[in-house]
Amino acid sequence: MRATASVMAGVLVVVATLTTATSTEPARAPAAGTMPFALPAPVLAAATRAGPALRLASTATPAMPTPAATAAQSAPVERCESLLKHGHNAETNTCYQTLVRDSAPYLRAEGHWGLAQYSEANEEFRTAVAQAPANPLYKVRWGRMLHERFNDQDAMDLFKEALAKDPNNAQAYFGLATVSAGGFSDGAVEFARKALQLNPQLTEAHELLASLALEDSQPDQAAIEADAAIKVSADALDAFAVHASIELLADRSPDPWLARITAINPTYGRGYALIAHHLILTGRYVDGVAYYRKAIAADPQLWSARSELGVNLMRLGQDTEAREQLQKSYQNGYRNGATVNSLRLLDSYKNFVVLKDDTTILKLHKKESDLLYPYFLAELKRSIAVYEQKYHMKLTGPVQVEVYPDHEDFAVRTLGMPGLGALGVTFGNVVAMDSPSGRKPGDFHWASTLRHELSHVFILAATNHRVPRWFTEGLAVHEETQASPEWGDPITPDIVVALKEKKLLPVAELDRGFVRPKYPAQVLVSYFQAGQICDYIQNRWGAAKLLDMVHAYAHVVSTREVIQKNLGVSAEEFDKQFQAWLYGQLQGTLASFEQFHEKLKHLAKAAHDKRYDDVVRDGDAVIRLYPAYVYDANAYEFLAEAQLAQGNKPGAAATLEAYMKAGGRRPAALTSLAQLQESLGNPQAAAATLDRVNYIDPAYNEDLHRHLGALWLAQKNYPGAIREYGAVVAFRPLDVAAAQYDLAHAYFEAGQRDKAEDAVLASLEAAPNYRPAQKLLLQLKSP
Amino acid sequence: MRCLLPLLLWVVAGIARAEAYYVTVAGLGGEPDYEQRFTQQAADLDRIFKAVGSTAHVFTLAGKDATRARVTSTLRGVAAVAKPEDDFVLILIGHGSFDGVEYKFNLPGPDITATELAQLCGKIASKRQLMVNTTSSSGGSLGVLAKKGRAVIAATKSGTEKNATVFARYWVEALQDARADMDKNESISALEAFQYAATKTAAFYDSQKRLATEHAVFTDTGNGGAAVRVASKETGEGRLLANLALVRFGTERTATAASPAKRNLLAKKEQLEARIDTLKYQRAAMSPQEYRQQMTESLVALAKVQEELDK
Repeated sequence: MRATASVMAGVLVVVATLTTATSTEPARAPAAGTMPFALPAPVLAAATRAGPALRLASTATPAMPTPAATAAQSAPVERCESLLKHGHNAETNTCYQTLVRDSAPYLRAEGHWGLAQYSEANEEFRTAVAQAPANPLYKVRWGRMLHERFNDQDAMDLFKEALAKDPNNAQAYFGLATVSAGGFSDGAVEFARKALQLNPQLTEAHELLASLALEDSQPDQAAIEADAAIKVSADALDAFAVHASIELLADRSPDPWLARITAINPTYGRGYALIAHHLILTGRYVDGVAYYRKAIAADPQLWSARSELGVNLMRLGQDTEAREQLQKSYQNGYRNGATVNSLRLLDSYKNFVVLKDDTTILKLHKKESDLLYPYFLAELKRSIAVYEQKYHMKLTGPVQVEVYPDHEDFAVRTLGMPGLGALGVTFGNVVAMDSPSGRKPGDFHWASTLRHELSHVFILAATNHRVPRWFTEGLAVHEETQASPEWGDPITPDIVVALKEKKLLPVAELDRGFVRPKYPAQVLVSYFQAGQICDYIQNRWGAAKLLDMVHAYAHVVSTREVIQKNLGVSAEEFDKQFQAWLYGQLQGTLASFEQFHEKLKHLAKAAHDKRYDDVVRDGDAVIRLYPAYVYDANAYEFLAEAQLAQGNKPGAAATLEAYMKAGGRRPAALTSLAQLQESLGNPQAAAATLDRVNYIDPAYNEDLHRHLGALWLAQKNYPGAIREYGAVVAFRPLDVAAAQYDLAHAYFEAGQRDKAEDAVLASLEAAPNYRPAQKLLLQLKSP
Repeated sequence: MRCLLPLLLWVVAGIARAEAYYVTVAGLGGEPDYEQRFTQQAADLDRIFKAVGSTAHVFTLAGKDATRARVTSTLRGVAAVAKPEDDFVLILIGHGSFDGVEYKFNLPGPDITATELAQLCGKIASKRQLMVNTTSSSGGSLGVLAKKGRAVIAATKSGTEKNATVFARYWVEALQDARADMDKNESISALEAFQYAATKTAAFYDSQKRLATEHAVFTDTGNGGAAVRVASKETGEGRLLANLALVRFGTERTATAASPAKRNLLAKKEQLEARIDTLKYQRAAMSPQEYRQQMTESLVALAKVQEELDK
């Protein structure tokens, strides 16, 4: 996956959910900056009501029921849940029906919930809470149900309200943990630990911690927590599932653990779904899909698993079956964000075209397919060729690349994946990414993103998906700058700050930075660190070592072992040496960061006030303090503007060239550079600069393509001219006649007379009296 | 890179020798930025239209001069001298408003309503009229202004699109950009200018990642139908606009007094052009091969005629 610094603003579909609001109140709007859709229910307890209702370990206050009273209230519910957990489905049903007939609203709520009558359950919970507002049990259980029904915000509020009444309520902390886990929030571990601190017998909390540890690539810790759960409860089915996942991820047989699940409950589909979740998280989509199939085979009404199956079939490009599974979930009331949005995305595919050849499948939106196809196809082929040579392998099937002009469509593809703000994501041989037109021009470098994702395709294939996240991401980031030093993301201020605060993770724990970030920029910092690690390994040990490590990971070896065996140092020693190297590289930027910040502020003010002498005097010095700062309000552009204002074209050109080489990507700045280069008598450099914009945003400007076409035609680069004039035509310009004529001219010069005739006829069809086209047509028709 | 037309461009209005009257009014800006923008756009149009020469009569009102009294007196003045074979063009730049019943063009002092404008323009004798209302809410004026022999362009599809518009900017640009001449007949028709300005306006909102708050439309049949965004051979919408050349920068069509041989070539050229138009119209009913073959033959023949004409 490739991430960007911006936070995904994904207002996709606000799914109708149960809320705590009364029927006359509007549903609460999602809070700003949050995802108003539920993530899939991948984690323990997120979609299950199994488990003891409550075993309060807290000290009751006079306003609250005593623990004994609470236990009495919970006992009937626990009976039903125990039946459910052990697969006695008919008896479970009867049990819940009994609760529905009870005189207590709370028990009626539990009964309705157990029978999947969520609206009725919601109403009964509301009544129960209204009658006994001091009782945290009702709020916690209500929150659990709302979480199960995709309303995390109200669930969180209820857990917090319960804690306000009873600060030592373990179940409320556990509720917070389950919601946080669904969003890959770092708080999940803390909440679960707090719950266990208050109630060490809380099996579900141990199970959740086991799953979270496995998500963080800590199988040993996961096993410890799973064992702790089993010690408390011999029928800790999810603990068995975590153990089975650990075995599968290590390419060992999970059968003993699966047998233990089956012995207790042969219809426990959730166990398989949990295993599938862990396989998916490590990129093993095919295996994950197989386990989701097992989940629904065991429990055909496990709609959450069916929805996940649909989502992951989509990721593998199997859209027909994906739609069937998603529709079944939807029709049976499982309408979380992932299900609804995925179905909508499938519907939108009618607006896409699929262009195939032997090795590639490009899925492009109709409105931009003509424009993007030549650029994407060329770059895709180039990347495949590079990686085939580098990894001495060929992919078994074509690579599918899906390009979404609407970021929200792309965001649907990343639902349930850790890390927001992604630009691209890889699922086996399928890559989904943002279109350059879906973001502000210059926001990202699509060719770099494509090169990044293609690295994943090859690495996942080479290792049969047995590679830690940090290493595949690190290699992918490393590959960006291998393609061109200007590709890749220059170090951002967020990363500089993290480095100054010594926030890098040990290499053996680096996966955690991707999956469960502890601070907002940690995902980006982790990408940077992983990429730098690969750069460092190549610099110190040579590129072959990276390849050796790829092969080592294919045999399911831990990072510690891989580093020791391939690099000859311990992971700890590696961290020490790597960080010394990295900090040495960035010494200047880190030392002068505060000074840079201050001086840039003054430079910006001088530029704003048009005090160009001051800008020219100070600009270079500011750039030297942090040469990689090419983002908003950068010193390069201030300086170039001032130099131009003073008539110093060569100076401005040199400044903008330095900006470009430092990774600056604002198309307007690069276009200015090309104009300067041309006016200074260097049309070759101007063409090369304009071509760079194509790798950033081919949809940026029709005129850019026209001008680049003219430059290349003059330089006798006919294939280049044909591509650029073809791009102008793809823009569907107002002046179709001129655009087609330019294209015809380029074809003619390239000796492609048939294509020249096609284009010139198109030109004259739009404007029969267009004289240059008429002349070319007569030339083409002359013997 | 926008390429401007040669400085020698001039404006004609249809048939040679007919007179053309151009009235441009830049209304109340309300803010210095808008005042400056509207006045500049009116000045640009004034320059473009005045380049026509003796057949063009150009009246431009902007700033404090653009009062209802001045607009009224100017239009009455035109009505006093215009003849039935002349063309009349009115361009409104600025802000407008629509209260659900009546459109008003905002002017310093009292505004002027669409009904008042319709009455004043209705008294101007002319073969064809073009009204280009580039203001906010201008869609609200369509129903009142539309009539037979008059093409009306509005920057907004209805009176409820109330935000300030950018259409005028691109309308002015269209008359100065050779790329607006889409059929390469060396003139820019009102329809081409509309297509140019409407496309550029849409692109403006797209590039700014803003929801478009104006959607330009036109009507030129006077049959009371809804205004449209694209010309249609079936309904005839766009025909008047297509025939109303606003800017011409070629010489060929004025060569009516050429030799008999040239006149023959011109006649043949017109036949071929008509044949090409017919082919386009029949395309759906033809096989692709048949269409291509016949179109190629016609285009080659036309190119040869042009080659002869250019000798």
